[in-house]
Amino acid sequence: MIQTILDALSYGGLYGLAALGIGLVFGVMRLVNFAHGELIAIGAYLLIVTIDLGLPISISIAVTGTAILALLMEFSVFKRLRVAEPSVLLIASFGVSVFLQRLYEVIFGALPLSGQIAPWMTGVIEFGDTTITRGSLVTIGLALVLLGGMWFFIEKTTLGLQIRAASSDFQTARLLGVRSNRVIGAAFVFSGVLAAAVAFVLVTQRGSVDPLFGVNITILALVGTVIGGLGSLQGAALGGFAVGTTISLLNSFLGNYRIYTYTWLFILVIIVLLVRPGGLISNKAVKERV
Amino acid sequence: MSNDLLPSSQLPGVTRFQWQQLLGPIVVVVIVAYAASSVSASFAFLTEGTLALLVMVLALQVLIGNSGVLSFGQAAFAMVGGFATGLLTVPVRIKENVLDELWEPLKMINMGIYPSLVIAVAIGAFLAFITGLFLMRLSGLAAGIATFAVLMVADNVLFNWKLIGPGPQVMPQVPKFGFIDESIAIAVLVMIVVYLIGISRRGRLLRATREDALAARALGASIWRLRVLFFTASGGIAALSGAMYAHHAGAVSARDFYLGFTFTTLAMLVIGGASSVWGAVVGTILVTAIGQVLLVFEGGVTLGSIEFTLPNGVRGLVIAAALVVILIWRPRGVTGGKEFRVPFLSRT
Repeated sequence: MIQTILDALSYGGLYGLAALGIGLVFGVMRLVNFAHGELIAIGAYLLIVTIDLGLPISISIAVTGTAILALLMEFSVFKRLRVAEPSVLLIASFGVSVFLQRLYEVIFGALPLSGQIAPWMTGVIEFGDTTITRGSLVTIGLALVLLGGMWFFIEKTTLGLQIRAASSDFQTARLLGVRSNRVIGAAFVFSGVLAAAVAFVLVTQRGSVDPLFGVNITILALVGTVIGGLGSLQGAALGGFAVGTTISLLNSFLGNYRIYTYTWLFILVIIVLLVRPGGLISNKAVKERV
Repeated sequence: MSNDLLPSSQLPGVTRFQWQQLLGPIVVVVIVAYAASSVSASFAFLTEGTLALLVMVLALQVLIGNSGVLSFGQAAFAMVGGFATGLLTVPVRIKENVLDELWEPLKMINMGIYPSLVIAVAIGAFLAFITGLFLMRLSGLAAGIATFAVLMVADNVLFNWKLIGPGPQVMPQVPKFGFIDESIAIAVLVMIVVYLIGISRRGRLLRATREDALAARALGASIWRLRVLFFTASGGIAALSGAMYAHHAGAVSARDFYLGFTFTTLAMLVIGGASSVWGAVVGTILVTAIGQVLLVFEGGVTLGSIEFTLPNGVRGLVIAAALVVILIWRPRGVTGGKEFRVPFLSRT
């Protein structure tokens, strides 16, 4: 029972981190970034390829590399699509996503690369007669630290204030002297850092990485971002958390019918969207007129 | 064309029936299909598969091109169409041996390809109608994500529920089309239907809602009703595409119509130009041609004394890059979203 709750919380935290990464970029430029999954995948590849250098070095390489790739996406593609509609941006990010998947296939091969990143995370801790996995505790801790850090950055720093301003009204923020390219660049860098954190947790759980490594979690986090309320950062994190915990709880309670977890999850998603098209925490900037 | 007064970007889509707009794409498809399929048996097979994809791209065009609503979910209806026609045409003996968990009445049914195609389209359109009633209240990104959710539900159900299909396995022994002419005829028929739907009064009204929802409403257009109608048409055509694919490959499984299929067909539509039938045709032919050329290179090509071999994965890489470049360079696709026009012909 305790393990079920901890699993739900750690899933929720993980998906919350992924959704916040997507939400940050969406907030400042109305881009639903499908290619976030490929940021997660490059983080995992870098971790596995460089793990022989020691965990701290490997993690710094992964974080830096992921942030650089995020910036590269912005400069090579999304910067050129500033005036495009959100649906065009969405399709473009779909293209970037498939492009990177194939690139990983060309570079690293289609088969999974495996490696032990942090074997101590798979162990269990015993409290009397209940055992809980160390991984879920570490994940919850990491999520709390990063979400707290992001909260501090967004709420207490000038750059964070600018990101919030740009999220709520991009044009007015620009008129008031917020440098748009810098804010968007910062959002991409932070979404890259969050992707690297997600990559770390996922790759320790799975022990291998393949070109489609980040697709699944990105789809679910994306859904979380949308139902949480696009354009609101708390909404994104909350939506991701809701999706993660729902999956984990459905998995626990559906028993033998857990193969249908996604059916129930996505039916719930459709219902939430129909009842609240703007998301749980809605932001009026996202609404279409009429 | 009547849009010379305004920059063409302001008036995508046609307003008046013109024979060249309808016959042009048809002639191109028929010529290319027969030419390609006369090269070799494997090219004929490829052509047949591409015609099924063309029908899917047209299904997307009907919805996305006319309403501007982005749907990632139409592959769900292709999946349903493929499964429906598979269940209706696979011989009873095969179903009893391979799909033993199938619902009994479904095991007993057997019919020819053509009646089965009609039923597949009807089922696809019906499901699209029901889905559309709910989903077409949404627009923009919420619609994109909700339609995507439909794809996920369809995939999850059809991939697992053995009462109504093969589950994670492949449904084998689906009867194949006898001749390439059958696929060509179906594709031409769909092109005519899609063109006529687009140019109909409701089609023009729906495009008006895409350009200016408020003004279109003032003209008395119910956005929701129009979108449901076109979503239904699109679902029926998508089901036809899935069924064609099943009769082309001789087998069908849920994963034939998942993210890869969605990406390929969406890329074809966007690369060609989403707001015209001609764009759908050009996109499908272009993407297939690029893919084939790269496939040859992946197998190794000798030019002079140097042998080129591209690693696996380059094909998808180039197509994805082409999609992104075209979105940046020509957001309306290579045709600019215009319908076919005979070059050098005096303006009508």
